[in-house]
Amino acid sequence: MTKKEVAEYGVYEVFIQKSYTDPHIHVGSLVAPTSELAMQWARENFLRRDSAVSLWVVQREHIDQTSTDFLARELDRKYREVRGYTENGRLWRMFKEKTLTIEEIVAAVEEKNRNLKSKNKK
Amino acid sequence: MNQEEMFMKRIKQGEKIEATDWMPDEYRQLLIKLIHMHAVSEIMGAYPEKEWVPKAPSLRRKLAIMAKVQDEMGHGQLLLRIVEDLVYPLGKKREDLIEDIYYHRVKFHNVFHMEARTWADAGLIGWLVDGAAIINQAALLSTSYGPYARVLKRICAEESFHMQHGENIILTLAMGTAKQKQMLQDSLNYWWESLLFFFGPKEVTPAAERMIHYRIRTLTNEQLRQKFFDKYIPRIHSIGLTIPDPHLKYDTEKKCWVYTEPDWKKFSEIVKKNNGPKSRERIELRRQAHEGGRWVRQAMLCKPVG
Repeated sequence: MTKKEVAEYGVYEVFIQKSYTDPHIHVGSLVAPTSELAMQWARENFLRRDSAVSLWVVQREHIDQTSTDFLARELDRKYREVRGYTENGRLWRMFKEKTLTIEEIVAAVEEKNRNLKSKNKK
Repeated sequence: MNQEEMFMKRIKQGEKIEATDWMPDEYRQLLIKLIHMHAVSEIMGAYPEKEWVPKAPSLRRKLAIMAKVQDEMGHGQLLLRIVEDLVYPLGKKREDLIEDIYYHRVKFHNVFHMEARTWADAGLIGWLVDGAAIINQAALLSTSYGPYARVLKRICAEESFHMQHGENIILTLAMGTAKQKQMLQDSLNYWWESLLFFFGPKEVTPAAERMIHYRIRTLTNEQLRQKFFDKYIPRIHSIGLTIPDPHLKYDTEKKCWVYTEPDWKKFSEIVKKNNGPKSRERIELRRQAHEGGRWVRQAMLCKPVG
């Protein structure tokens, strides 16, 4: 019996960027003979409906991966998180004020942006 | 349509420019100047707070301020990566970008030339200096340069913790002893002028005008300063502090804050000549860290033996 000729394709990991202000996000993988075809097939596999602005394919052997141990968190790190400071809301109320959030600042700045744009239009 | 017109068309349509896209030299130079200064300000901005790591009043405060210093250095790294891609065609590298600090070829924000004299200063930096910086950065989220916009998004997310951290130190002091409250007031008196200067001159400089033209930024210095006033003046008053400006008031007709301008000359000399109270000392530490670490950076390139 003659041995079957098997075409061995390499594995490519696929990353998609949905808009220019987003990072590329891993969506899955596929096998392909070349990176050009990997891109074509990634488009057909992962972007039949969703739109995107950029697509990366990376050969799996070019990706280094950590172990779970490497990312273990033994210590309480609330001191570096917003939720470690929930008492601020209560403290501000004692001064008849409220805590300031990044969302509030972004909204305030964007409001200025909108005003500016409508002014430019006039 | 020539290259330049195509580029401006993209900008006007709200598209983001990427590192490998064609861009006018002027656009590249403006970005380098802005983001290099931003990166270096993050790095030099870690110094006033790191000086308080050994002197923090509790273990939790020590951990929190260390976490903040680590964040600032991290932001510096993210931003330097962006500058590296921008200066690549000009033949400059990371080494040059750092050396520029101690050869006085790049400026950093006036506030980081000042002294963090007390724990209240450390807290006030966390609350108001960071507050001012966050307003600046939030306004840049809509920048036309894609890599900068994406990094700023991440930086702003981390700033959420910085805001809470700064508020917490200030609120604790504001509820403390008479001496602690006085320390807080002294701190506000020392930093107020620096905070006003931080946003830059009132008039729109030619460089700022070009940045607005390219939509690198969209708001003027004065608009940002007014935003800072809107958000922070009521809070400063609520905790019983007095702002050291007898002329400060809200003009209800013009719908803006009226204030005494800072000593523009004094602070611009500090920034241009690096001759603020702590400039030389901190720059020297940066030089030592960079030069002293050179052999380590080189050693890590060597292949392991055997």
